[in-house]
Amino acid sequence: MRSTQSFSIPDEVEISDSLIAGRALGGMSSQVKSQRIRDPLHNLIEFDVDQFEQTMWRVLQTRPFQRLRRIRQLGFSEFVFPGATHSRFAHSVGVFHIARSLMTIIERDPSKRTHQSHVALAAALVHDLGHGMFSHSFEDVGKQLNLPMAIHENVSDALIRNSEVSEVFNSELGRSFSDEVADVIRIKKPGNLIDSVVSSQFDADRLDYMQRDRLMTGIQGSGVDATWILANLEVGTVPLNADEESAGEVKTLVLGPKAFHAAEHYVLSLFQLYPNVYLHKTTRGAEKIFTSLIVRLHSLIESGHQSACGLPDLHPLMLFLSDPGKIENAILLDDSVFWGSLFFLSQAKDRLVSEYATRLQTRRLLKCIDLRRMIEGRTPIRRGMTIDDRREREARISLSVKSILKELEERAAHRKKTGGHEILIDEYRRSPYKKFQDSQTPLNQILIRKGNEIEDMAHLSSVVFGAESFEISRVYVSEDDSEGKSMILQIIDKSTGE
Amino acid sequence: MSAYDLHERAASLVLDAGGELVGRTRLQKVAYLSSLAGLLDDFEFEYRHYGPFSEELADAIKLAIGLRLVQEEERRTDWGGWYSVFTIPQRKSLAPSARASFVSAAAGIGAIELELAATAAFLFIVEGFGRNGQGDPWEETKHRKPEKAGEGRLERAKAAYRKLREVPTPNPLPAIV
Repeated sequence: MRSTQSFSIPDEVEISDSLIAGRALGGMSSQVKSQRIRDPLHNLIEFDVDQFEQTMWRVLQTRPFQRLRRIRQLGFSEFVFPGATHSRFAHSVGVFHIARSLMTIIERDPSKRTHQSHVALAAALVHDLGHGMFSHSFEDVGKQLNLPMAIHENVSDALIRNSEVSEVFNSELGRSFSDEVADVIRIKKPGNLIDSVVSSQFDADRLDYMQRDRLMTGIQGSGVDATWILANLEVGTVPLNADEESAGEVKTLVLGPKAFHAAEHYVLSLFQLYPNVYLHKTTRGAEKIFTSLIVRLHSLIESGHQSACGLPDLHPLMLFLSDPGKIENAILLDDSVFWGSLFFLSQAKDRLVSEYATRLQTRRLLKCIDLRRMIEGRTPIRRGMTIDDRREREARISLSVKSILKELEERAAHRKKTGGHEILIDEYRRSPYKKFQDSQTPLNQILIRKGNEIEDMAHLSSVVFGAESFEISRVYVSEDDSEGKSMILQIIDKSTGE
Repeated sequence: MSAYDLHERAASLVLDAGGELVGRTRLQKVAYLSSLAGLLDDFEFEYRHYGPFSEELADAIKLAIGLRLVQEEERRTDWGGWYSVFTIPQRKSLAPSARASFVSAAAGIGAIELELAATAAFLFIVEGFGRNGQGDPWEETKHRKPEKAGEGRLERAKAAYRKLREVPTPNPLPAIV
């Protein structure tokens, strides 16, 4: 089982952070003025003159937050969508902006905000603080190698509780403010109305990234009628339960009946962003190379072959991989550090490091074999199939793919041991709308008010109800690995009886 | 990498519960506690809104339903909530086993109490509450789930967990009561 734990930053780092936090706090009293950011999605984002918003502005100036300028929201998507170079910095500010709009639905008068809503708004601003280079790809490295400091939740938690960011929070908004913010992100209490701004089906994070990613990639589908959705959100009371047992009622955000179609469109737009953007075969292929490259560097360092990596010992990547438990090493990493290291990595003595670095440098990626699509093509659709028949067909395809992958993994591992080409496998599944994976919870549902009743979207929309999961099962091979390609095709043929 | 037959292992949990298991929360928490007891080693769990949750198990049971190894029926409560009931359509007679005894006992616990108990165990094992004198997993559970922990449910969850520890298992459940 995986484990997560809390981490604190060592004293020597705290001291230097304190100095910088002191600088960030300096001069706050004399001439307070509102601050403005121009944003391609929201246009003008303003930080007002009140103490809370000025403090949020100062959080933006801290080193951990500035680091987000150097982490792209969509990692390698730029290989497919050249415009998709927007940063997690811009996204985080956008999330804060939307969170304020959501909060006005709960607390009408922004000048009378409660402490709890300040905590939630601050959480919206810093929710991505711990993301590593290439976000989710780096996280895959963390999961593969069990490196807690490559998991963004751990790094976020540590930075919010104990860094320059917490210095700013706690000096202005109360001694334990940073812990309260970290708790909102970590604990994810279901049914808490104010926290639903940070974590729910219509949370500020999703409302920002869906629109921002669409804008910056340039795709024309997946629009979100955010104005209409926000105009129709209201506070409703719904039962809190676990399975068949009730645990009273909670308040949460629900949609009025006029926003039903906007909500339906929102679910489908999110669902389509996955195949069109997030799971694009080229992007995923680059991510797979990146992950394999970092894993390879780690194994070289572990086995005492640092000199084969091509990087100096003091390079941030070497520092992190040599001592991955240290948070100060983790926050040295960002996308620019990686891009800047590619020349040296391409000159590495290790063949795999050199090859993968060169591939990313020149966008000469591995070739994709879409295994699932091939199996789907060999699994006929009969006329007159019921929903259950369709689901059985999908399940049989999944089963067939799993069996092929199992054999492929074994043979790929054997090839790797004997010095052959690597074969990289990519699997992912996404449900269009996770109706209630665990139990029904207001946080997992889109709730629509119909008269006096509040209903789950999936019970009202046949489109959402009938939407099937989107799955990918792909294999990436080198263009000159004809042996690998034939091996894959042979396994597929054997599995499908062709 | 995911195992090839996880759907069969997910279905076997329903079978071990006597051929019927009520609720997605129960399925997840029974599986988690079975993992801690050394009776299941197939799924990875992380902390979600309802405590320990395994995406792999959710996918595996969905696959088992698609293949018609398990049936899922959604039912509505009289207070307006929804819940699932998992059944094995073609019930085989179940040979008695240590896992069946444990799974049946765990599946017989109220869903909210089971959620609280599994959450406390997870907080102890994964987040370190109650280890080395650091905090108390039950207090942290109460802090995270104030609505569910109220009305004596946390005490009942402790009692249910204590009783579950009495069922013989390869690994003892964490001693948090």
